[in-house]
Amino acid sequence: MAQVVATAVVLASFYALLGAGYVLVYRATRVLNLAQGDLMTLGGYLLFSVAVTVPGAPALAIPLASALAALAGFLIYRVLMRPMAGHPIFAAVLITMTLGILLRAAIVLVYTDQLRHPIGLLGLTNPPRPLPGGAVVSTFDLLTVLTAALLFAGLFLFLRLSPIGIQMRAAGERALLAAQRGINFHLIFALAWALASFAGALAGMLYANNVRLEPSLDVLGLKAFAVALVGGLDSLGGVLPAALLVALVEVLSVRYGDPLLADVSPFLCLLAMLLVRPWGLFGTKEELERV
Amino acid sequence: MRRSTLSALAALLAAAVAAPAGAQDAYRIGMSAAITGRAATTYAPTYEAYKVYFKRVNDAGGINGKKVEIEYEDDRGEPQRAAAAAKKLVEKSLLLVNASISATYKPFMTESETSKVPLLFGGGVCPREAFPPANPLIFCSTSFGSKWDSRFVLGFIKEQSAAKKVKIGFAAQDIPVSRLELEFAEQEAKAMGFDTIPVVVVPNAVADFTPFAQKLKDAGADWVFSWAPWPHEIGVFEALQRIGWKGNYILYGHQQTQDELARLKAPNLFPFGGNSLFIEGAPIHAEIASLVKGQSTLPAHHMSEGWVSAMVLEASLRACGWPCSREKLAKAMTTVTVDTKGLRGGPIEWTADNHYRKATFYKVYRWDPARNGIAAVGGWTRLDIK
Repeated sequence: MAQVVATAVVLASFYALLGAGYVLVYRATRVLNLAQGDLMTLGGYLLFSVAVTVPGAPALAIPLASALAALAGFLIYRVLMRPMAGHPIFAAVLITMTLGILLRAAIVLVYTDQLRHPIGLLGLTNPPRPLPGGAVVSTFDLLTVLTAALLFAGLFLFLRLSPIGIQMRAAGERALLAAQRGINFHLIFALAWALASFAGALAGMLYANNVRLEPSLDVLGLKAFAVALVGGLDSLGGVLPAALLVALVEVLSVRYGDPLLADVSPFLCLLAMLLVRPWGLFGTKEELERV
Repeated sequence: MRRSTLSALAALLAAAVAAPAGAQDAYRIGMSAAITGRAATTYAPTYEAYKVYFKRVNDAGGINGKKVEIEYEDDRGEPQRAAAAAKKLVEKSLLLVNASISATYKPFMTESETSKVPLLFGGGVCPREAFPPANPLIFCSTSFGSKWDSRFVLGFIKEQSAAKKVKIGFAAQDIPVSRLELEFAEQEAKAMGFDTIPVVVVPNAVADFTPFAQKLKDAGADWVFSWAPWPHEIGVFEALQRIGWKGNYILYGHQQTQDELARLKAPNLFPFGGNSLFIEGAPIHAEIASLVKGQSTLPAHHMSEGWVSAMVLEASLRACGWPCSREKLAKAMTTVTVDTKGLRGGPIEWTADNHYRKATFYKVYRWDPARNGIAAVGGWTRLDIK
């Protein structure tokens, strides 16, 4: 049982990192970012590129790749999303979908479909770590949990205490009113995209070191999308319990049911949530009506 | 004016009639492969090997004085794309080549049957139609073949475990060919007196292999056998490693084997297969390495599977002579014997009713900590295909 819990917590942390990206962009801009899975993949490949350039220097490579991922998110807003201001939301959503397709194609063109393992280039290892109760997880499993905890703590503090965070919340609630109060909401929206890309990249980098890197990792983004919806698309706090719920159902279905249920369990959770509480665990009803 | 118009039309008509004849002045082959997409790690090297191999053939004057023109289609391992590719390629090709996942086979087999075009599987698992009694149009050069691979693996486990009672687990990917093979292996293992754990099927899009690995570990597997595309095979193994499993893991060694053994340095990982690794340093390995240099982004040691397939195709076209028709080619292929020059454990020999090969050969490798390098576990094992 200890192993089931440990595995579920690790998986939940991974989903939470990815799910945070969906919520950050949606809260600020009201756009469903369907490229979040591809931003995760991009983060992994950015790390790979940096690691190829400066091998054996994880202390440099990881922050640099993270910064590049955040910059990519910022630029995506400036170049692609900002011109969509004033257009119907669905057009912006279609842009994110197209962006995902383009990112996938570009990654294949540049890196081919070969499996990559940046961990070796970084000079890191991933030994098993025994936990109390007999469970064993990998070092990068532990780092995934730690990173998710730090990211969420950081985001909560940032949104509640920092002036820009408060502006981000304000712009998310009433963009027009925020603009009238002198808030540069384009900058705020670009920052939300940068943060989403950063969170996705963290997930991608951890996954790439723990498991592997390949262009088709974006499919994992769909599962995290279900997590974001279960938690409530406008609730960052909802991501954590939703991720834990979805991960637990997934792990238990493999352990005690048919392993194939793992593929669909996030969507079964989503379906159940939509039937019972369509706005998610901690989402707001009005937001659903706006969607 | 009228006369000149008529002359121009006549010239156009003559050119139109002459064009196909000109186009037939070469061996035209149609190849569909998963060049991109999730399965590309396994199949794209075959496409790359074909490009390099037939560039050399054409640069050297072609076959029987004729160039080999290969039209490539990327089916991404998707049946719908494969269906479109099969329809497109069948029109002009003497022979079709499929190097993709088994889900793409059906449209190619249908087109092959309808248009009476020989079909060569060169990179994807050999379909049962290539085994005796073979379909007259279906041929296969791929090193892995269903049922025979499992028979070899179970024999190997028995040999390795000597008289000790062992429990075997099976890790499949959720694709029909992988599931069916491992279900077959499970039944065979029971018949051979092994304790078995029901096949654990891993979905295609999986974020974490740990729950699946945990299931195998908790069931007490001493050995785990996986037969699937590489990412799933190795994904389960690495997850087992992460949770501290100490058993032995045997998997089909796809193109990545050499890189992955060196990366993982795990002495309990046993990739088996029909292709020799480049660490053996045979002259053919050096030859491929020098030809591939600058021609492909993939390393030379990923090319074995495609290289053997290309050798078989070249031998088939030589046997067909010129002019070569689809019917003549299909007949010529039943007489082909190809010396694989050390890429495999023996020749590929086709007969009228056996389009797989008369004998298949397997070898197992592992990481040897004492040598700090990759080592073969014994020599080639020969299985006669009846």
